[in-house]
Amino acid sequence: MKFSFFHLMPYPYLPDDFDERYDSSALTYPNANFSPERGRALYARYLDELEYADELGFDGVAVNEHHQSAYGLMPSPNLMAAALTRRTSRARIMVLGNAIGIRGNPLRVAEEIAMLDLMSGGRVDSGFVRGIGWEYFAHSVNPVKSRSRFNEAHDLIIKAWTSPEMFSWYGENYEYRYVNLWPRPLQQPHPPIYIPGAGSTETMKFCAERKYTYMSVYAPTRIVRRWFDGYREAAAELGYKPDPERIAFSVPIYVADTDEKAHAEARPVIEWLYRKGLKQTPEMVTPPGYMSPGSLRGVLSSGMRPLGGFSYEDLLANGQAVVGSPSSVAKRLGELYDELGGFGQIIGLFAIGPSTHEQVMRSAELFATEVMPVLRPLGTTEEATS
Amino acid sequence: MADVVPAEEFVELAGGRVHLLRGGAGEPVLFLHAAGGAGVWHPFHQLLAEAGFTVLAPDHPGFGKSDDFPAAEGVDDLVYHYLDLLDALGIGRPHVVGGSFGGWIAAELAVHSPHRVGSLTLLSAAGLRIPEHPVTDLFLLPPDRLVATLFHEPPPPPPPPPPGAQPDLDVIIAGYRESTSLARFCWVPFLSNPKLERRLGRITAPTLVVAPSDDRLIPVEHARRYAERIPGASYAEVADCGHAMYFERPAEFAATVVPFLRTHPLTAESGVSR
Repeated sequence: MKFSFFHLMPYPYLPDDFDERYDSSALTYPNANFSPERGRALYARYLDELEYADELGFDGVAVNEHHQSAYGLMPSPNLMAAALTRRTSRARIMVLGNAIGIRGNPLRVAEEIAMLDLMSGGRVDSGFVRGIGWEYFAHSVNPVKSRSRFNEAHDLIIKAWTSPEMFSWYGENYEYRYVNLWPRPLQQPHPPIYIPGAGSTETMKFCAERKYTYMSVYAPTRIVRRWFDGYREAAAELGYKPDPERIAFSVPIYVADTDEKAHAEARPVIEWLYRKGLKQTPEMVTPPGYMSPGSLRGVLSSGMRPLGGFSYEDLLANGQAVVGSPSSVAKRLGELYDELGGFGQIIGLFAIGPSTHEQVMRSAELFATEVMPVLRPLGTTEEATS
Repeated sequence: MADVVPAEEFVELAGGRVHLLRGGAGEPVLFLHAAGGAGVWHPFHQLLAEAGFTVLAPDHPGFGKSDDFPAAEGVDDLVYHYLDLLDALGIGRPHVVGGSFGGWIAAELAVHSPHRVGSLTLLSAAGLRIPEHPVTDLFLLPPDRLVATLFHEPPPPPPPPPPGAQPDLDVIIAGYRESTSLARFCWVPFLSNPKLERRLGRITAPTLVVAPSDDRLIPVEHARRYAERIPGASYAEVADCGHAMYFERPAEFAATVVPFLRTHPLTAESGVSR
């Protein structure tokens, strides 16, 4: 099992009347509510936390991209990754990922990831995401083109990294007469690719065909199980059994010295994450064309509910958060490992909403020292084939 | 004429099938529908047909029962689409009436091919970019606020579904398909072609621009701008009415449009060739 410390870099200082006054923490939530001085302190703190995770022995430190939102303060994940290249030494630097569906110039992503790979000595993992619904409003990109832009940007970036000679590109969304990447990445043929899945069978097949790591987004266990099975089935149809490491389970994790303390501290921050941080209107979640009619039918008929509708107890029972003492967390993640049919990576969100720096550091430390050793043997190739 | 019964037709074009409702007898009126209301024979259609016109009401690509025509990516493609449709129907120069999104297509058609438009009627047409009077982002409006935005006097909300009732997935997905089609043509630039305004001088057809008095979606300045820029255009407002226009006040809209159409029969002089 591999473990990574994932950061969203939330802006936790929402006003007391947030629930009544605002229908979202993103897109339309006024930036008058952003305090630059608090923002300065948050970035310093959050980078310290990621650097501490490297010291603690996490296998990876992970950042991602969000726009116009208090949910996550990383419009440019590559900037954060660049800072981490110089202040970490062991962990993989996981960019999960660049939102290539909304980027105007995907070649810039190929260039920046290549730079990061060189700067980090080949420690970069490159995630690609479509960008979530509200970001198609925020960056004025037609959501109808989302999948087409994602697929084309992906193909262009991979070719730019790997082509031994200059080439031209004429696509539905992008045209380049000269693609001639300087610098080229250190890892050959290119950095490992991570793709999040949320039920799309196209994405499962896409990842299985390329042996990319398929990572879950926050959803109830029975639904994540369906996604992971879909990826495994897509691989089976191609005639192979995926390396467990190619399946990554993402989950918010809160560890404290005792169960009682953990739940007392975790309840408000988990509720913040799902009720405030992820608060969006249905129109923001699913702009027109963002999903295919078939995928929309699948989501609607699967009985998925808005995340804000779950209670804290529901979220724990559904595997959408794991909270407790080190032994309880190890036990619960072991259960989820079985319920999900196995996985080889845990991408843990430890800095959850308004949790304090001290809470996050303690949670990460307990996880690294007392939970990781217990779970380490799970989800390896040997374990999977035994 | 009061017993007009519309007929349903499908017209085969190279890129797919167009669904069309046809009713009445007389000079042809090509009616280009708004973002909502595809595939339905409205009271407004009926009133035009009863007034002595052949009303042809096609569904846009990706709306109603028309095919998606995925190669159509922008309003310029829709202009060619409707030129193809007119050719397939054997209609040289109809009256063209367009509402909202359909009004934008009608204006683009009249700019592109002035000789194919016998008269032009724009009902609170989209299509212009007026940054100081922005169009409301209908894609971000929840259903109740959308209704409140579209109507001067919003109809009462539908009764709540009985407890445990399952939503009709087919209806939801059909609605999502149409909003996806709309977004395909107008997400950015939003419901407009920034070049359209400076091209409006090309229009030769007699033109009527109609605005509802209380348009909360497309500010009335858009209709006024159309009327200013289209040579010889006349302008009318329908009182106590929202952007839903012919949904909210079909009789008043017909009473405004029918006299204009009658004043401009499709003679050789109307919509002169360019």
